[in-house]
Amino acid sequence: MSDSTTFQSFAEEVKAIPGGEFVELCFSCGTCTSQCMIQQKVEPDYNPRRLLKMVMMEMRSDAYNSPTTWLCSSCDLCYPACPQKIHISGVITAVKKIAVEQNQTTVIQTAVVNQQTCVACGLCVEACPYDAITLERARVPYRGELQVATVDPGLCMACGVCSAICRSTSIKIPDDYSDENLIDALWGWLNRQKVTF
Amino acid sequence: MVDAARQPRVDIRTFTEVEQVEGFVGNFVVTLREKSKYVLADRCNGCSECAKVCPIEVPNYFELDLAPRKAIYVPMSQSVPLVYSIDMDACIHCYKCVEACGALEAIDFNQEDKIVQEEVGAIVVATGFSHFDPSVMEEYGYGRFSNVITSMEMERLNNSAGPTAGNLIRPSDRKNPQRLAFINCVGSRDKRYIESCSNFCCMYSIKNAVLLKQANPDVDITIYYIDIRTPSKGYEEFYDRAREMGIHFIQGRPSMITEDAETHNLIIHSEDITLGRVIEKEYDMVMLNQAAIPQPDQNHMSSVLNVAQSPGGWFMEYHPKLRPMDSPTDGIFFAGACQGPKDIPSSVAQGSAAASRASRILLSEKWEIEPTIAVVWPERCSATTRGRACGICAKACPYGAINIFDVKDPAEVVIAKCHGCGACVAECPEDAITQLHYTDAQILAQMRAVLADKPEEKILAFRCQWCSYGGADLAGTSHFEYTANERGLRVMCSARMDSDFIYEAYRLGAGAVLYSGCHPQDCHYITGQLIGAKRADRLQRAFERMEMTDGRFRVEWISAAEGDKYARVLNEMQATLDSITPEVLHDEIERLKPEMEKRLKKFPGVPGVSESMEYSDTLVEAILKAKETE
Repeated sequence: MSDSTTFQSFAEEVKAIPGGEFVELCFSCGTCTSQCMIQQKVEPDYNPRRLLKMVMMEMRSDAYNSPTTWLCSSCDLCYPACPQKIHISGVITAVKKIAVEQNQTTVIQTAVVNQQTCVACGLCVEACPYDAITLERARVPYRGELQVATVDPGLCMACGVCSAICRSTSIKIPDDYSDENLIDALWGWLNRQKVTF
Repeated sequence: MVDAARQPRVDIRTFTEVEQVEGFVGNFVVTLREKSKYVLADRCNGCSECAKVCPIEVPNYFELDLAPRKAIYVPMSQSVPLVYSIDMDACIHCYKCVEACGALEAIDFNQEDKIVQEEVGAIVVATGFSHFDPSVMEEYGYGRFSNVITSMEMERLNNSAGPTAGNLIRPSDRKNPQRLAFINCVGSRDKRYIESCSNFCCMYSIKNAVLLKQANPDVDITIYYIDIRTPSKGYEEFYDRAREMGIHFIQGRPSMITEDAETHNLIIHSEDITLGRVIEKEYDMVMLNQAAIPQPDQNHMSSVLNVAQSPGGWFMEYHPKLRPMDSPTDGIFFAGACQGPKDIPSSVAQGSAAASRASRILLSEKWEIEPTIAVVWPERCSATTRGRACGICAKACPYGAINIFDVKDPAEVVIAKCHGCGACVAECPEDAITQLHYTDAQILAQMRAVLADKPEEKILAFRCQWCSYGGADLAGTSHFEYTANERGLRVMCSARMDSDFIYEAYRLGAGAVLYSGCHPQDCHYITGQLIGAKRADRLQRAFERMEMTDGRFRVEWISAAEGDKYARVLNEMQATLDSITPEVLHDEIERLKPEMEKRLKKFPGVPGVSESMEYSDTLVEAILKAKETE
């Protein structure tokens, strides 16, 4: 893509990346979307079928800003269900790769480190299934220069494993999936179910 | 059917298998196995007294196993001919039926299969299709959830002659379902199972939905589809009518069906494409429209009839557009879905077409075929010269027209089966076969004529009769300009383009050679192009080894509609020739001549060839002489 004189369509670019080869076979049956575990129960705009269409229709910015690109966890539940045998998560990963290469950042809420309390124990680094967390030296206000956990938002899938394992509650998924909100939701559910202790 | 059975000139053989088909157009000998019914057809009057006393009940395949039948049975009451038969797998030999039959004495437990041979002039194959088994698609739960049924089963339940006398009930609790869903493309349009579209399911599900809605306007019917395909006359209007009646259409292929454990209601999970939302809707009963697949014994049938199969397993027609009812073997015709999934109007149309094709054979005293047939010189065949037939010709023939009954006997061409592609002629390593009107000598004479003067400037273009020749014609009539150095030679098929011709062309000093034919899917001789393409590949590799300048030998597949491509290819070849200086080209031609001669050692030995090298006009005589020695 560095050579600006040769025009390469979005679909061609995706097809050149292993996993994205068969994107153009999609006939929009919607099986992947309804099969998906994350789908619209969590995120109403999550739709793999539409992302494939965006690739074919040259809608780059829409694809980069679609939560589908960043939320797919490559569980491959849709792959065996696809009647056209398209490796959908492969296509999504290809789109994500192109987006990262073009300096696009994620549109979902990824893990945030509280640098003031992080002790750089490295538990989260080991726990992260996506290798999104590293220990890096940083200049932190009031604490000086020291090692803290750093999250790569391009890799983070906001699963929350780091937040659960952190002993000093220094790493969190903000908003809907913060500890406070989850506990609220849990209590709400327990009250609704009339569970008593 | 009853009418057909009453016709004196119609002979219906049920329960009969075709074991062997021999012969050729007008003269087929068909070996039939008439399986024993254990009931004498000329005595049984179909009174059903035997079935009433039979104590054995087994599922009736005609009712898709939804209803029972006795061990002595007819599949349905309208069966033609109305003759009972005994299912010996189920029969317990209590002989109650023999008693019930009484004085009629129609039941014979000692009856055996009969092998009969019939001479027929033409064969119409109408073996139909079968259904994909949806239980392999676990996501739809067919076989696991009692209320998921196939549309065919629904048809039996909704049929007044069916097991429930037309009262549509759902299997789990036998109540009338109020919310119904049809799922299209179950197994079809699916690369995991059946890749093709089943053609009729869209209309079939709309028809069923309209029928159910007409019978009971209160039921809620939804059809899940990927695309609705209503291409024929009146189909789109019918689709409109279905929507006006209040039938819901949801574009989206369901990813799975789940069952409510208590009520046995079903929840379909799908995306509504038009809304872009995942929807989950509950239904009382779900009907699956399975893919149409070839009959399970289609492979066996194809080897018995010696007709090829298309990639999906269906019987292959002579030509997909121009001769959809003809098989590649003359005298065998297809009617209906055995050749590919089709709906009722198309099946009827194809059946009538096949019948009229067949009657054309039956009514003619003589059958004319193309004159360009292959002829074997038995004395040159390896069976004569080496005592063992190599069989390459029989393998090459797309029509199975070459017989080698014994490896010690020379190959024989069944003239009535030969279509004159010339594949065997070019493939024969002994040059023991020739093609009338396209003999090696005749083609050689043409080559020598066009390469007589300044051959190094000429581009010799081998074109197949059906596609590339038409392409060249179109280039001419459309006034596409291309190089004047082109010299075209027509053969019937790219399979006839013998490697000897190509070597000989270079030996004579041709500047360049074009090897052109139909696109693989358009070949007029089934697999002729494939044979030609394989040979072209071999040639190309050979010339690469000889270090011939790239572009002096070119292989292109050009259809009759691609006149522009023909002109472009030739202009490119001319440009290649222009890019080589005459001295270099001359040196290369001289360098390769001994190589070509080495490969052509046997060529002058072919009857007629050496003569034609001297006198082209003694050619006809030469063939006649060769024929006389035969």
